[in-house]
Amino acid sequence: MEKLRFGRGTDLPRPGAPAPPGPWPDPEPLLGTWVNFDESSGGLVMLEIGRRREEMTLRVWGAAEPEPREWPQIVALPFAAGVESPKAVGFTALYRMESLETRLAAYLNIRLLVVDTYNYFLDGSARSSYFKRDHYYQP
Amino acid sequence: MSGSSHMRLEDRLPDAAPAPGGAIDPSALLGTWYNTDKQSRGIVRLELATEGDQLTVRAYGACTPEPCDWRTVPARIYAASIGSLEGMAFSAHYRFDFVEVILAAYTKQGILVLDTLNTFTDGSPRANYFTREFFHR
Repeated sequence: MEKLRFGRGTDLPRPGAPAPPGPWPDPEPLLGTWVNFDESSGGLVMLEIGRRREEMTLRVWGAAEPEPREWPQIVALPFAAGVESPKAVGFTALYRMESLETRLAAYLNIRLLVVDTYNYFLDGSARSSYFKRDHYYQP
Repeated sequence: MSGSSHMRLEDRLPDAAPAPGGAIDPSALLGTWYNTDKQSRGIVRLELATEGDQLTVRAYGACTPEPCDWRTVPARIYAASIGSLEGMAFSAHYRFDFVEVILAAYTKQGILVLDTLNTFTDGSPRANYFTREFFHR
């Protein structure tokens, strides 16, 4: 077998560990509706994670008045806890809009979904790029 | 995808508040950051610096006998809000010929929290994976 390439120890399976069924871990632990613990958050108030054939999908709703604003559905990429793991514990997704680019990087902590957003404005509005962390639960 | 001046409330400046309009200060991020776990198999060290106005990151992976030097890449800097100019987070992207790695990190109370999102591109039997590690200066 060809020797695996690596850039650090975590890129390599531990000796004797079974290979995972495929490169993309099963997103099942992440699926469903997630609601922001902070009801007054000005960020993302709700996330909906689904599965469409082999892909994981994401829809989010941003805090807005009078109703939350739905963002388009996009594909998200699930990640396992290690190279041998079959189940997803986190995901990333990238929204590229006219005025804003938002990367979501999220992970499960027990039954809490921790979502970090990295937000970069593209419209020359002089707003600072910013980082935000929110916590979500499944109702 | 259609755009808008704000996609959620936190993207909107308070009424009459001016946008900060300047470069975000990277001072709080700069320097060498060491993994708090001396036995880490992940990233052992990060060097954050500037080249002109550009924030850069150089990561070192856990390898023996010496750490693997991932070399320097540009990084994007983030403040804590749209009205702030104090840098407290960054993201960067490494593209190797066997894996793509997104680095996403923020500082909190003197600690740098680093997430890596790792996607293998070489068809090897490995799952794409996530790590979270903590660093101090």
